[in-house]
Amino acid sequence: MQPMINTLIVLTHYLFNNFGLAIIALTIIVNGLMLPLTLKQIRSSKAMQDLQPKLMELQKKYAKDKERLAKEQMGLYKEAGVSPAGCLLPLLVQMPVWIALYQSIMRVLAVIPENLLGLSKYLYSWPIVYSTLPLQNKFLWLNLAAGDIYLAILVGGTMWVQQKMVMTPTADPKQQQQANMMLWMMPLMFAFLTLSFPSGLALFWVTSNVVRIGIQYFVTGWGGLVKSTPKKEIVRDKKYKQRIAEVEEAPEGADTVVPSLTQEEGLGHGESGSKRQDRGGGYPKSLRAARRQPRRGGGHRRKRG
Amino acid sequence: MRLGFLEGIGQVQIRSNVVLAGKVCLVVILLLVGLTFFGCAGIKSSPEGGSGATIADGTLFLCPTLKQAAGGFSCAAPSGQGKLVAVNTSDGSRLWEVALEASRPAGGGFGCAQPSVPVAIYGNPAVAGDLVYVGGYNGKICAISASTHLSKDAYVNESNHQPIVGGPVVALGKVYLGCADGKVYALDAASLDKEWEFQTGGKIWSTPAIDGDTLYIGSFDKKLYALNASDGSKKWEFSTDGAIISTPLVDNGTVYVGSFDRHLYAVDASDGSLKWKFMADSWFWAKPVICNNVIYAGCLDNKVYALDAKTGDKISEFDLGSPIISSPVLVDSLVIIVSEEGKVFALDTGSNQPPRELADLKEMVYAPLCASNGVIYIYGTAQNLYALNAGSGARLWSQTIK
Repeated sequence: MQPMINTLIVLTHYLFNNFGLAIIALTIIVNGLMLPLTLKQIRSSKAMQDLQPKLMELQKKYAKDKERLAKEQMGLYKEAGVSPAGCLLPLLVQMPVWIALYQSIMRVLAVIPENLLGLSKYLYSWPIVYSTLPLQNKFLWLNLAAGDIYLAILVGGTMWVQQKMVMTPTADPKQQQQANMMLWMMPLMFAFLTLSFPSGLALFWVTSNVVRIGIQYFVTGWGGLVKSTPKKEIVRDKKYKQRIAEVEEAPEGADTVVPSLTQEEGLGHGESGSKRQDRGGGYPKSLRAARRQPRRGGGHRRKRG
Repeated sequence: MRLGFLEGIGQVQIRSNVVLAGKVCLVVILLLVGLTFFGCAGIKSSPEGGSGATIADGTLFLCPTLKQAAGGFSCAAPSGQGKLVAVNTSDGSRLWEVALEASRPAGGGFGCAQPSVPVAIYGNPAVAGDLVYVGGYNGKICAISASTHLSKDAYVNESNHQPIVGGPVVALGKVYLGCADGKVYALDAASLDKEWEFQTGGKIWSTPAIDGDTLYIGSFDKKLYALNASDGSKKWEFSTDGAIISTPLVDNGTVYVGSFDRHLYAVDASDGSLKWKFMADSWFWAKPVICNNVIYAGCLDNKVYALDAKTGDKISEFDLGSPIISSPVLVDSLVIIVSEEGKVFALDTGSNQPPRELADLKEMVYAPLCASNGVIYIYGTAQNLYALNAGSGARLWSQTIK
């Protein structure tokens, strides 16, 4: 924490004695330094999310055999080259850094005499540090030492966007509901909390959220924020349309089944089905009508031509 | 029947949703509590105050510290009530107390909004005749009658209620004080009406010093100001490289003041020219004392420096093991110093030998020391007031004042 506190003060000195700019700059610098870890975490999370349908299938299949389930899950992780700790470890490594940054901002703000006294214990003996303190706490319309409603809204908004980008739809309604609740609860709670904290800290949260949104965009795109069909899936759409056309042109009674994506990816029979999570794989929404399904009343498939 | 069945399903669904919402809430709350706990550990969110003592006519006046709940939540407000307490110096018994009107919090979180916030008081009370003056963190100056206990208060700045951190000083029929709005105020001692104000370039946390008709005060704008006490006109200003929080010491035509640039300055009181400066390893927070042409200055680098008052040459330095925040006091030929961790030392100015440890209070001490008739009075952050014999360090009495 000591290096961060002193860096913040030095940055303030060089950024026109503006503590707000120093907070933004240090947040960006720390994010930059932790970029490899952040990328690793985002990629691991993405890979884990991609594996979710297969994991759910395994859970259904081996619901009564926990040992086998664990074995199969480990096998799946190994096969996909994903480590369950992959998304957790970088997060754990980053946590102390975030807490240190968070603490540094609170300490450097030092609005009351007790905190200014406490700050003196963390200072390096650089003349620049001593001459810059105490810092001015004005930035734009903000008093960085007091809560601010507009910044609270910004904190909530940016956090919602970031969470929405990370969020992927899941077939499990319970999970989906939980994710939706988190999507709203976290930003609301943080926005609420922001009102009671010095806005210097809120500025750090907003900057951090914006940076994370940027990183997330470059790694995974807008994700759950925009319901667009990624390029890869458009290629698949074309492929499936072609196959369906081939199947439907085939002579009646040949009992040809349109191969599912999971079969194509090498999954065994029974590991995929109609209950599989629809994540752009399998049948695209546009082609669901063309899928061979049992008809009500035991009707037959309509002939073409 | 079918409808009842559906209603049953609906109830189960609602119950399930409620359970789920509860779980999510719990996770989010735990996360935020953890974040707040780790993030705010060791950082105080509200001013606690706690003044040093002032003695007049055998009565000790003190404004106690407000205690803040541990944990460091931003919503945690200090408990207790901002007040002035009068204590009998002979046995520590409480004579009377007057509570200061609590202030409403300015803005802040909805959920954390409190009906009122107790007023923290940092500066020592000032006594003039029957009136005791205290400056509050709510921006109010309060005059309390020692005989009737009636009080009168006024905001020094009606339009901008900025905190008063330094103490008031009474002289020439006026009350002088600095405010965090950057202004020095002179108020009529009887009516508390504003006589004049002087704007500096930064906050003022320093207590002014009056010598003759000149007022000396430091500001966050890194300057020491000399003002005409009668009309507030500026006589001179002296620039340093750091904010000035400590109270200046004026002696024999020289103003001694510590700055955040780690220097102790000696400035000519007549024209503001620099006589000498001495550099330490940290801030000078406490007001120095002078005895036999030697300046004794406590520093946040744990040391007490003995400097030649004429040249600034270092005579000796003593490491007391923790920062010196509390201003030392002179009792006969002894300089009594208390370190932050509560160790009381006596430095014999005659021998200049290393200070002798008189007592260990085992509680933090921030407030300036006070002495009268060979007894030193020390108020700690754990809200205990101690009376010690300055020579032997024997504890005469101790009382919890809150």
